[in-house]
Amino acid sequence: MGTFILRRTGVMLLTAICLTFIVFIMTNLYPNLEKLAKNEGNFRMSDAEVASFLGNRGYTQRKLQNYGEWLGVLPGYVIEGSDGKTRGRCSNHGAIVEDAGRYCGVLQGDWGFSSRFKEPVSKIVITRLALTGKLMFWVLIVMVPGALLIGVMAGMREGSRLDRSLSTGAIVTTATPEYVSGVIFIAIFTSSAVGLKWFKGSATSAMENATFENFLLPVLTIAIYGMGYIARMTRASMAEVMTAQYIRTARLKGVSFANIVLKHALRNALIAPFTVIMLQIPWLLNGVVIVEVLFNFKGFGWVLVQAASNNDIDLLLAVSVVGVVVVLLTQLMSDIGYVFLNPRIRIT
Amino acid sequence: MTQVNNFMHPAAKMYAAEEKAGELDRREFISRATALGVSTVAAYGLLGLDAPAVAGGHAKMGGTIRMQMDVKAMKDPRTHDWTQISIFSAAWLEYLVEYNNDGSFTPMLLSSWEANSDATQYVLKIREGVKWNNGDDFTAEDVARNIIGWCDKSLEGNSMAGRMASLVDDATGLAREGAVVAVDASTVHLNLLQPDITIVPGMADYPAQIVHESFTVETMVSNPIGTGFMLPENLEVGVKASIVRNEGFDWWGYAAGKGGYVDRIEFIDYGSDPATHMAGFEAEEFDLNWESTGEFVELFDSLGLVKTQVASGATIVVRPNQDHAPYDNKMVRQALAMAVDNNVINELGNASLGVAADNCHVGPMHPEHNADVTRAPFDPVKAKELMDASGHGDFEHELRSLDTGFWKDTCDAVAAQLRDAGIKVKRTLMPGSTFWNDWTKFPYSATNWNHRPLGTQVLGLAYRSGEAWNEFAWSNAEFDGLLAEANSLANADKRRL
Repeated sequence: MGTFILRRTGVMLLTAICLTFIVFIMTNLYPNLEKLAKNEGNFRMSDAEVASFLGNRGYTQRKLQNYGEWLGVLPGYVIEGSDGKTRGRCSNHGAIVEDAGRYCGVLQGDWGFSSRFKEPVSKIVITRLALTGKLMFWVLIVMVPGALLIGVMAGMREGSRLDRSLSTGAIVTTATPEYVSGVIFIAIFTSSAVGLKWFKGSATSAMENATFENFLLPVLTIAIYGMGYIARMTRASMAEVMTAQYIRTARLKGVSFANIVLKHALRNALIAPFTVIMLQIPWLLNGVVIVEVLFNFKGFGWVLVQAASNNDIDLLLAVSVVGVVVVLLTQLMSDIGYVFLNPRIRIT
Repeated sequence: MTQVNNFMHPAAKMYAAEEKAGELDRREFISRATALGVSTVAAYGLLGLDAPAVAGGHAKMGGTIRMQMDVKAMKDPRTHDWTQISIFSAAWLEYLVEYNNDGSFTPMLLSSWEANSDATQYVLKIREGVKWNNGDDFTAEDVARNIIGWCDKSLEGNSMAGRMASLVDDATGLAREGAVVAVDASTVHLNLLQPDITIVPGMADYPAQIVHESFTVETMVSNPIGTGFMLPENLEVGVKASIVRNEGFDWWGYAAGKGGYVDRIEFIDYGSDPATHMAGFEAEEFDLNWESTGEFVELFDSLGLVKTQVASGATIVVRPNQDHAPYDNKMVRQALAMAVDNNVINELGNASLGVAADNCHVGPMHPEHNADVTRAPFDPVKAKELMDASGHGDFEHELRSLDTGFWKDTCDAVAAQLRDAGIKVKRTLMPGSTFWNDWTKFPYSATNWNHRPLGTQVLGLAYRSGEAWNEFAWSNAEFDGLLAEANSLANADKRRL
């Protein structure tokens, strides 16, 4: 088990390095740098102004040099600019600060400085990840029990009327993307045009003070989308278990239906959905991007959008590292969890 | 708003006569006369009118305003490219001059200004008794230093340099020697290269905030030294920001009747989608929004909101760029203009809320507007003939615009009309993050332009040869000459376009 986790961590590091390198090269293409300069300087700058802006801030050095600085294996640049001011990477690309170190990369625990938000990247990522964590927590609380319940009920009597109606419902919710269901929810439940106004169509105030009223719709929008998929998986797994030999034996022995489902079928039927739920978490990060923008909830997905559209290099790199960690960590958890749920599987 | 100022510029009397003869409208007169240093009271007096009473006698002290607005990162005021940035820093950084919605310019940190008869020399008087919030006195030195800073072309993105062009030495890209002189503690002299009546209006534009000598971009929020009555409390870019009253600071404006009523303003960022703003209004998360455009004006009305509006010259320009073929051909440009009915554009792109423009960038709210100058007639048949005659009849035009709001709707309406006229056109939608990178360089695209007090300011920014914002690649020595002449003090008839 120990070596397995070690190996996985190694893979994670390697993936993170490869991915950040690709992101780094992409964000350092000149048109992207131009965008960065115009966002930071003035978006009506001339080409010559863009060139001097970028040169003064070390963006036009060799790419590997810059990547090395970001990693922290090379000392950060110190450049005397064409305007006479000296700037350094370790002083947040600004005028030299006295106590700035020579190296300031990831290895030194410095994730860089966001050009869009003018704050340390680590602070932004932590704040926003916490907000998304809050959203995800409630999504999982709603989604997982709901999906399992629907799946088990649909799967215990395959082909029954209950199964057909629940399955149809599950397919409809999975087939409705967040940007459709979210807009429909906002229109029906929050607008004066319809007049219900039961909930709030904006989750801005939920960042500080989440209430049932302002937080239900974003949670529901994500949860419903993922719920259908997990329910379908659970149903398939449950239906398969219900046809197994030992269930038939139990029925022949006269065990009540409720006991068969709860005591004999459930545990075996939940192995497959467990993996699905774990794999669904990175997928939810996708949905979070849309829902956070739609409901103006400023979490991780929103940061991703902001970083990408402003070509905020340091922030994008950190965001991709977080992405890699979330994906591989959930995979690791699903693999380990699988061992506990299914004694026939062993990890070596 | 009493101004202790009896200055009377000779041209102001000429303008007053022109106004009486019907050659100038009142708004033009007020703009022109106050830009030269005539006080608002005196300007209205020349017309035989009383200056409008100051609204706000009923305003109460205190309270919090929550406002929907983009919260952007702070930068050097000279490089501000979005008004929203200045709105936040205006809490503690003030202006020399203020532009009001009746078209007049009133003094803020200045107490008055005077222009000589041909507008080549200005005398700026500094308001007495103004203090920085760190206790320093506000002096003529501060004003001179800021104006010299505005002239610095080496600062990337400094748009004030363009407004101060008549003070700048083209060789060095800095203020000319002797152009800005602090004569004594309360007087600054400006010596201009050529007559320029736009210099004071330029000081009222949003990047013209006055900063302390210790100002640095890095510390402007953490150490906010300014003359204003508020202070920044927090700033989370893209999320929210707030400004609060600087308790205990004896702001000059309280005594001068400049307001300063509210205790606290919170700005909340809702992104660029007006549908989200609408949801925010419905959720009662803010009291005031930044702007309402197109169809959302009606939707906001339906929520029972109170609407404030002012006629402005803000407009959208759908233009070809002459550096690209086939738009170097005059017939092609004429054909594009003649194929489009601006009333339809106003209806489809702007929910009929504006006034159709005459394809020139000076509108009825500008002093220089001449109603006799009309557009090339709307004539789709003739347009197609012109296009064919130019030899580009089969050319497929590519019209680029932003992917949302009135930009998209307007260009869709233009493209539809071009197609109706038999001209081939392809639409390309781009997000703001890529569109604004090259907005001046696209062969054929749409740009929104803000209102500016004087028509000649717009013409100078957008149409003068080689100007940074000249998205038309319009380069015409005769036009440049005429514009320079218009910026001197010739009388109204000659100034008309």
